Amino acid sequence: MADTIVKIENLVKRYKDLIALDHLDLEIKQGEVFGLLGPNGSGKSTTINCLLSLLAFDKGNIEIFGKKMTPDNYEAKRNIGIIMQNVAVFDELTVIENIDYFCGLYIKDKEERRKCVQDAISFTELHDFTKFYPKKLSGGLLRRLNIACGIAHKPKLIILDEPTVAVDPQSRNKILEGIQKLNEDGATIIYTSHYMEEVEQICTRIAIMDKGRKIAEGTKDELKKMIKNTETVSVEISAVPDDILEKIGTLPHVYSACFIGGKLEVKCSGGKHNLIRILNVLQESDLHFGRVFSELPTLNDVFLEITGKALRDSD
Amino acid sequence: MFLHNLKYDFLQNIRARSLMLWLILFPIILGTFFKLAFAGIYESTTVFSAVPVAVVENGSNQIFREVMAQISEGDDALFETEYTDEETALKMLEERKISGIIYVDEKLSMAVAPDDTGSSAESIRRTIIKSFVEQYNAQQSIIVDTALHSPAKLPDVISMMSESSECNENVPLTNGNPDNMLSYFYNLVAMVALLGSNLGLSIAISSQGNLSDIGARKCCSPTNKLVSIISSMVSCIAVQTVCIIISVSFLAFVLKVDFGSKLPMVYLAGSVGGMAGVSFGFAVGSIGRMGLGAKSAVTTAFSLICCFFSGLMIGNMKAIVDNYAPWFNEINPAAVISDSLYCLNFYDDYTRFTQKIVTMLIMTVIFTAIGFFLTRRRKYASL
Ligand SMILES: Nc1ncnc2c1ncn2[C@@H]1O[C@H](COP(=O)(O)OP(=O)(O)OP(=O)(O)O)[C@@H](O)[C@H]1O
Ligand SMILES: [Mg+2]
Repeated sequence: MADTIVKIENLVKRYKDLIALDHLDLEIKQGEVFGLLGPNGSGKSTTINCLLSLLAFDKGNIEIFGKKMTPDNYEAKRNIGIIMQNVAVFDELTVIENIDYFCGLYIKDKEERRKCVQDAISFTELHDFTKFYPKKLSGGLLRRLNIACGIAHKPKLIILDEPTVAVDPQSRNKILEGIQKLNEDGATIIYTSHYMEEVEQICTRIAIMDKGRKIAEGTKDELKKMIKNTETVSVEISAVPDDILEKIGTLPHVYSACFIGGKLEVKCSGGKHNLIRILNVLQESDLHFGRVFSELPTLNDVFLEITGKALRDSD
Repeated sequence: MFLHNLKYDFLQNIRARSLMLWLILFPIILGTFFKLAFAGIYESTTVFSAVPVAVVENGSNQIFREVMAQISEGDDALFETEYTDEETALKMLEERKISGIIYVDEKLSMAVAPDDTGSSAESIRRTIIKSFVEQYNAQQSIIVDTALHSPAKLPDVISMMSESSECNENVPLTNGNPDNMLSYFYNLVAMVALLGSNLGLSIAISSQGNLSDIGARKCCSPTNKLVSIISSMVSCIAVQTVCIIISVSFLAFVLKVDFGSKLPMVYLAGSVGGMAGVSFGFAVGSIGRMGLGAKSAVTTAFSLICCFFSGLMIGNMKAIVDNYAPWFNEINPAAVISDSLYCLNFYDDYTRFTQKIVTMLIMTVIFTAIGFFLTRRRKYASL
């Protein structure tokens, strides 16, 4: 059993009438890439800020590295790397100066720091931009600088709060690969996002949050097993008569069939030949259709089934 | 750790160009503007007439009386003298029947009314008194010598002296530089000092977790907040001092504003005023949750209002304030700073000057304490 790095018990945070965190429990173990997945406003950042002792909370207990987390717990702080949701760098300092400044808040020794800064630059591939001011960097590069500032001191626990917001897919992949690399090098990662694909891609364990509550937790496979959906078949088609739709709905293993926006969407639970059966019905009725997809459940389906709403409005 | 912070605080401040430019360009532009606007105003308008003064003697000084009699006769009399006791003299001064009091003791000293009339003629009279007292003190030994050993030559010595006394006046007169204009320049220095509050703002904002993302990041680090606050404070004050030195030097050496003979003290007063300005910004920065833009508007407006009441826009504003709310001039930072410069120029001893400097230091301590108190927190109710 690996060591527990972070333990959150019964955490409650209120903003006046709004309950931002509602009796939240989390346990994160050494070596994990732990994903906090939830829609906007579900309380991910609030959790992180409480964890860091930045935000006062109403109730609960937080331990990091086995010790109670307080603003004075410098030992814990020394070993945490934090990459906030918003880019936090100095506009007046160059890339390398920014990294050196933040690294210097953790590491006093000059030689050691120089090496750390160089490592962070290689890691984020910012070699060509070390003399740039943040204003001159593209969005993706800026995010990478933000990450470099957070990890230069080689922390044991790295917390990333939506580090890929507003980053193009290519840069995003680079960032995700980087995070996995940090994990391979021994760091424990906490990663928050409302992009389920990212979380699925890199996280070894995931907690899904909604309205300040943890609604499910486990590996992605465990999560997917929690729900009845096993397959979603969608068919591009111009129109489906009601009787046909009804007929599809009564097929074995099918528990929902609907037609929206030129697309027939059929949800199945178990069974092996759902796709063929559905297509057969369509063919018998002499309906022409376009592309056909059969998809395994996603975390979105998990979220949808548990909360009755989509993880995010298709953006 | 401290030096590491200090290095980067300096880099930031120096590179925050708009702020630096503002602090340096502002006095240069406005100073030049004042200079141009005032040039020539007084060149031909001031008719020279005898200056009414009261003389308060501590014991009788025959030589001084003789000198005084000499320079107070004829159409080009320098003074219109009245010998009286201190109480009466002060009353006359208050009623503005005289322009100043000359105290006769071992050395001469003088008193003038606070510079609040804004009248140019009055300022010239003050300068004449001042320069006479200086001249007399400087040449006292010669005068006494002459009076004792060759009394016949005394009138010559005196006329020489009174001439050079007038001469002293003639230079600034024809340059259109009577000293009431000085009050505008004093206030300009005060303005620069107070605008330093915009530097101080950043100290609070960038170290508070709930005011900036950078603040949040700093709060998460194992570095004690006090270290980063003190280093920011030091760097801001240093940068502000440089700005003050540049401004005062520009006024003194390029525009040839006559700050009197104690220029180093002018730098000192400006720098201490600058500290008050920076710490004021630090305090405002740490109060409330407004962003940098809003707070910067608050400090800039505050600086301007202070300077308005101390006479940056209207010369005799300070006198008006003195009439209605004299206490305000004692706590208005701009008035305190400009008064300190005034005292430097018009009083021989440093009592009043020191008093003003102490006031500024007290302000600095209070503002800094407020800032520290509000910033030292590291856990916030909301972010
Ligand atoms: N300072 C605040 N005052 C009042 N309510 C707040 C404050 N900060 C956050 N909230 C509320 O708390 C809830 C949780 O916010 P939080 O920022 O943790 O969400 P999140 O999961 O990080 O969302 P996002 O994906 O948008 O970053 C939201 O409903 C938000 O409106
Ligand atoms: Mg968030």
